[in-house]
Parts: sequence; C-alpha cells; structure tokens
Amino acid sequence: MKVTVKLIGPFVQAFGFSEKQLDVPEGTTADGLVALVDIDKARPKIVTRNGRAVAPDEALAEGDRVVISPIYSGG
Amino acid sequence: MNGWTGQILRVNLTAQTFKKEPFSEEFARKWVGGRGFAAKILYDELKPGIDPLGPDNKFIVALGPIAGIPAPNTGKAVVAGKSPMTGGYGDGNLGTRVAEQLRKAGYDALIVEGKAERPTMLYIEDDKVEFLPADAVWGQGTYVTNDWIYAKYGKGVGVLNIGQGGENMVRYAVVRSLEGRAGGRTGIGAVMGSKLLKAVVVKGTKPIPQADPAGMKKVGHDDLREVHEIDKKTGWSIQSTNGVLAWCNEVAALPVRNFRKTHHPDAWKVDGERLNNARIATYGCPNCTMRCGITIHDDEGRESELDYENIGLLGPNLEIFDFPQIASLNYLCDEYGIDTMSAGCVLSFYADAIDHGAVAGDFKFGDAAGAKKLLGLIARREGEIGNLLAEGSLRAARKFGHGSEAYAMQVKGLEVAAYNCKFIPGMALAFGVSPIGAHHKESWVITFELKQTSRESYGPEKAKKVIELQRIRGGLFEYMVSCRFPWIELGWGLENYPKYFKLATGLDWTLDDFWTVSDRIYALMKLFWLREYPQTDRKLDYPPAVWFDPTNADTEGPIAGKHLEYDKYDGLLQHYYDIRGYDKRGIPTKATLERLGLAEEAKAAEKVGSLT
Repeated sequence: MKVTVKLIGPFVQAFGFSEKQLDVPEGTTADGLVALVDIDKARPKIVTRNGRAVAPDEALAEGDRVVISPIYSGG
Repeated sequence: MNGWTGQILRVNLTAQTFKKEPFSEEFARKWVGGRGFAAKILYDELKPGIDPLGPDNKFIVALGPIAGIPAPNTGKAVVAGKSPMTGGYGDGNLGTRVAEQLRKAGYDALIVEGKAERPTMLYIEDDKVEFLPADAVWGQGTYVTNDWIYAKYGKGVGVLNIGQGGENMVRYAVVRSLEGRAGGRTGIGAVMGSKLLKAVVVKGTKPIPQADPAGMKKVGHDDLREVHEIDKKTGWSIQSTNGVLAWCNEVAALPVRNFRKTHHPDAWKVDGERLNNARIATYGCPNCTMRCGITIHDDEGRESELDYENIGLLGPNLEIFDFPQIASLNYLCDEYGIDTMSAGCVLSFYADAIDHGAVAGDFKFGDAAGAKKLLGLIARREGEIGNLLAEGSLRAARKFGHGSEAYAMQVKGLEVAAYNCKFIPGMALAFGVSPIGAHHKESWVITFELKQTSRESYGPEKAKKVIELQRIRGGLFEYMVSCRFPWIELGWGLENYPKYFKLATGLDWTLDDFWTVSDRIYALMKLFWLREYPQTDRKLDYPPAVWFDPTNADTEGPIAGKHLEYDKYDGLLQHYYDIRGYDKRGIPTKATLERLGLAEEAKAAEKVGSLT
C-alpha cells in the first residue's frame, strides 16, 4: 500500500529527504514505518498519522500521511 | 556574597541622580534575580493604579547569578515594568551584552525612575553614570540608533534601545539590543519611551563575584563546547525554531488568517527548509551555543533575522507566504522596535474585523504592502487607525464593537503566540494562565498533549504539565537568567543549572528549591494583578472566545468539527488552581502565600483586594 512519509526539521538533513511516497506491506505499523525509514527507535521523535497521534503498533492504511518529527518544545 | 554583586543601581531621570543600593543575601536567596528581583521591586515600589505610561512607572533591567558568565547561553537580561498592554506586571527577556556588562559594572539590577526633560541616553561605566542627550537619534529606528552608539563607544558595550515605537509609546513596543534581539513585548519599550529614555549603554570592567571562579571557568568552557556539539549532532539550528512551522501545519496548530484556520497548502513556502535555503547569515546572543537567528534578505535587500514567531504571525497568520515580504515586515518591526508577535496579531485582527464588517477599511489578508504601511502608521501613531492599532487588539476591538472582541487573539490584553489552540486544551490553558498575558514562553505543552496524553483530554495531567514547565521556563530561566534553548530544544540536562548556581553562589540547591522560588514569583505576579484588578475573575484566565466557537471549527483536516468547550476548559482551569493552591478567581490563597513566604506581601494586597 502507498503511504506518504514527511520528515520535519533536522530529520530532513539527517535522513536525506523531506517527503516521499513509499510502497509498504499491508499491516505495516507506525513503528514499522519508522524502522523502514531507518530512524533509530531510541531517537526522540513524535509520529503522527494524518495529523493525529498514532500508537506505535497501530496499523497504517492506504493513502496515510505519516509525519515524523523531532520533539519540538515551543522554543 | 558570591554569585551576586549585591548592588542595584537606581537612577532617577527627573532629578538626574543615581545611587547604588545594596541588597541582602536574604533578598538574593528569596528572589534570586531576573524576574524575581523585578517582580519584588515593582510590587513593593509601585502604587496600584499608576499609569504604566506615566512617570511613576519604573523601568527595570534585572540579571541573575549566572547571567553574563561565560557558560551556555547566559547572555540574557530581563526587562520589566508595569505593562502598558495588560496593566499587570510585565516583563521580557532578551539577548544582550548588557547582561555581562551590567554585572561587570557591579550591579545585578538597574531601576530607572521618573522622566527625563529631553530624550536621554544613560551611559553606565562601572561607578560612573552619565545622562547624555539623545536628541540626535530621537525619531530614528533601532538600527540607526545602535550604529550611532557603537560609533561613540565601540562595539564592546552593551546596548538597550528603542525605536519610534517606544518613543511613541506603542503599547507593544519592545526593548531592542542588536547584540541579541528584542524583549519586553508586554510594552517595556513603551515604558522606556514614556521616560524619554532612548537608550541604556553599559560598560563594566570588574570581576563578577563567584564562589568558585576557577571551577566556573573550566566548566563553562567545557559546557560551551559540549552544547555546541549537541546542536551540531542533532542539527537543530539548521532550521532553528522555524522547523516547527511544518509540524504545526501538519497537526492543525498553525495560525492562519487570524487563527481562523489551522493549516494551509502554501505553508511549505515559508517552512524551515525554505528558510535555511534562503539563509545569508546566522546571529545569536552573547555566549550562544546554537545560534537561532537565521537571517535572510527582505524584499528591499535588507538583512532580516527571523524566527518561528515572526514568521508564523507575520506570515501565514496574515496569509502571506512569501519570505522576502515577511522578512520586510519583520525588519520594520525590529527597526521601529515593536513586537513582531503582537504586530502580527493586531494586523490580522484588523483584516478580520474589516472582513466581518466590524470596521470599514481596505486592508486585506495577503496584502504585504498594506501591512508595511500600517506598521509605519502604528509606529508613529499616525492617523486614527495608526493610533488605535498602536493600542493593541483588545482596545481596538472594544472600539470597533460588533462582537470583534471574540476574535482579538489575546489574553488579558497581550496577544497570543503562533500556536492555534482551537483544539489544544492544554496549550490554551498555558496561554490563559500565563501571568503576563498570553505567552508561550511560560509553558508549552503541545507535544505532551499529542504524544503523552490525548488532544481531547482536559485532565489534571495537562494542568500538572503546564505548572511543571512554568516552574522551569517562566521560573528558573527567568531568574537565573539564561536562555532555555539548550535544555528545552537540545535536551541538555536541567541538573546543569543547580551546578552553575553552586559554582556561582556556593549554595547547594535541589531543583525543588528552585521550584519554590518559581512558585513564589508566580504568586507575587498574581498579587500584583489582584492589586490592579481587585474585581478580577477566572474568566480573565480564558483563551480567546473564537476558539470555543463551533462555527469557527475547521471544516476539514485532522481536527474537523472540533473546538474548545467552555465547561471542560473551566474544569481544566480548576485543576490548575487546585494544584497551585489558588482560589476560584485564580488568586493564591492565604495558606499558599504563607507557605511561599509571602505573608507581608499578602498584607499589602489585602489593602486593595481580598484574599481567600
């Protein structure tokens, strides 16, 4: 299934892209997608799915937009 | 006394006199510095009801025991006075060489009283204070003024100055320092202007007393490098504060069109990637390890230093998605010395009020040229609209009527920061209960709400988090005085601050000791408020009404149909009051005041207002 991954802030430089569409297996979870993009599980981040909070083990769906961001704290 | 110079410099502009006043170790331990010193001095010395723009107000510069030391991000100063925006206690925090120079001159704070007869520049060099004419630059902006000062004294001095905005007492005029940025959005620049005080220039040559100077030197040197390395590793300063713009757009928290909308398809044009691509220079405050001031050319080729708040509120909030135009508006605000945040919200309010028929006018969203023109009118209080918009969005709304107060994006008269809280209850609470009017610097909980709890919740965990962050952001960093970015953005350990406190003062404090000081200062700011507004009510701790309005809810996107709810917000507010030990008006109870060592201050408050 096709999902869009968008990276925020310094993740763009760190992982080499800003936004791309990925073809991922059915049943891929949010955590699974983070691993596919090769972001270290331990790295502080917040993941949202279609603008909403997502549990790490939540399965994604076709057309989802997943945003992976470092933790911003309001400056 | 180590850590503190032990001296406050008091200057009287009316009499053109000055004196050094010692303060006790007890005062130092109770209030520490920065916001603590300023709040206590203003509470003790100002009579309730004075005009913030009159000669009885005081302009304070206050530092703390780690301000100005060569350690991470310590080049910051608190500026304070009774706020022309809110009528309550007001302050700001800006990067400036004054932090180091005033401490080296032998002072932890400067109090300026009275009013000069003519435009004046104060020059302070150690024990010397000169009252110098500033007529040559009265009417000039902050860049010209700064150049004039540097030409006289060289670039090593610390400078605080005001532009036309402060001179004309625009209520949201700020204090500027070109070694840093700007501060005092509560109108502290207008307080300077009301005293005909154009600039304060400071040079100091004495050592700052420290308990362990050798230890401080080594640790400071090592930590300056360590924090810089963390920034390099995380890459935070590549997009700096504007990295958050794209995220806010994704999670429907961006201010668009006077906060009517929460996201926009063109937001990418002004995100952190585009800002980095347009970068021509980077600036930071003295002792900065992670310079956040990404600078680009504006549409007239001038250098303009931008951060998320400027971009958010002068950009998408005005439906302007062009960086050179936003940079131009930002440059003008800096030149005039008016707050970019309030300016953005005032302009967006005006466009919205015209759009909704509350007032006649031709300013529209997206009109950068019109915005530039209006900023000039505001800075000079020119014409009926320039003069009215210089008063801030709440006063303008009261004049326009037609229900426009509902969408004046302010709390207690101070405009909100660039986070659209139409469905972020905890952040709405943070704005509502900020003691100086809406400000994100006190507390910022959006990630907590999305990641640790749930956006929908109005539970006590959110009130607890707001208080936890107020103790640090609005407390510790505002009285030590230091920039919070190494901790808040790079995750540099909070335990470093008690470490520096001990190196400076010799005192071994736990973080709980710091939270007691934070709570004490917050309670005192509320007492100041009570004395000014004896009839105060919990409704003044509510965020803008439009966030509760179902007809203003998003019609699409992640929060479609959602909005704040009054009864639930009131419940969240009550959680905050309960945890803080405040009564149902949001005023500390007598028991709380006693616990915090404020029994004497409570007596002064009871002469004007009632305590529970």
